[in-house]
Amino acid sequence: MKTFEEKWTAWLDDQLSGRELSEFEASLPDKAAAQAEKVEAKKLGDLLKRELSAHPLKNEEFFSHQLRERIVQENSELRPERGRRRPTSHWWTIPRLLWAGTASLAVFLICTVLVMHQERPAEESQYLTQILNARVDPVVSPNATVSIFEVKQDHATVLWTEGLQSLPADYAAK
Amino acid sequence: MQTEATLAQSDVSELDLVKRCQDGDTEAFDELVTRYRTRVFGMIYNMVHSEQDAWDLAQESFLKAWKSIGRFRGQSSFYTWIYRIVMNVTIDWMRKKKIKGGDAEFDDAIQLREIDPASKTVPKTEALPHQAMEREEIRARIEKAIAQLSPEHRAVILMKEIDDMQYHEIAEALGCSIGTVMSRLFYARKKLQSLLRDVYENV
Repeated sequence: MKTFEEKWTAWLDDQLSGRELSEFEASLPDKAAAQAEKVEAKKLGDLLKRELSAHPLKNEEFFSHQLRERIVQENSELRPERGRRRPTSHWWTIPRLLWAGTASLAVFLICTVLVMHQERPAEESQYLTQILNARVDPVVSPNATVSIFEVKQDHATVLWTEGLQSLPADYAAK
Repeated sequence: MQTEATLAQSDVSELDLVKRCQDGDTEAFDELVTRYRTRVFGMIYNMVHSEQDAWDLAQESFLKAWKSIGRFRGQSSFYTWIYRIVMNVTIDWMRKKKIKGGDAEFDDAIQLREIDPASKTVPKTEALPHQAMEREEIRARIEKAIAQLSPEHRAVILMKEIDDMQYHEIAEALGCSIGTVMSRLFYARKKLQSLLRDVYENV
């Protein structure tokens, strides 16, 4: 639904036609006065067009030159700025985050395994335990000493004992 | 709407120029500037009535157009698109300068005293000195009357009467509805008719 102002403007600009035009003109209380105002509006439009449309742009080429200079300056300011932004804006991409996460997890697991491996007590043979037990029994072997030498390179362990009074009956060297 | 593009000697289409601009071709943009600079400057001058300000605002408008040319999708003409930038830049500037219009009383006596005989607003015609002065007075009267309008009303009446733009083009350029454009035109015309009746009746 158009307001009166919209219809009036359209009527002045000859944008109404057909039924819309006839209905609007019929609604005007004083058609002669409206027509006079329409003529006035045309005169106003002609006056504005005649007096205002001839304002020239002086030094047109200088205008363009100045604009070119500003665009060149603008572009040169933008380029390094873009260059600086690229690493920060593109580093934390989703694939890189995934890779970083996976690598961190792998390092963590390796470290955990190594630490647990180092902390785990070396497996001792049943006999060594018995011998050591025997060593700490002052009643059975009061002067016994037991030394263990491990040669990792050869995967060999030497058990050096002194002062033993007896060996366990089920002792068997492997 | 007749634009300078239609008068341009170059047969390169506007859309081609825009595409080249979007690829970073400053020469293509220069061509567009050449086509529209006079119209853009004239429109801004009629809004702000200062050559220096109009020059600066036209520069600012074209620079903004260059920066945002990538967002131009060709849904409207380049002229309508750049007019929207021009209007945003100009109306923002007028608001910052607190140029509102509308409230001051139109005073012929003040107006006549303010006419500067050395003003450079005389169109390039071979008028006799007294005719030139008369036109200068008329022009000053018109500028004073337009200064009574709000920036939005000035924009609408100038685009309609000077540039022969259609309602929908004005609406696009100003980012408002066609109904708003027509309503603003109604009030702008009424105001100018009351202020300039003696001028257009006697010219």
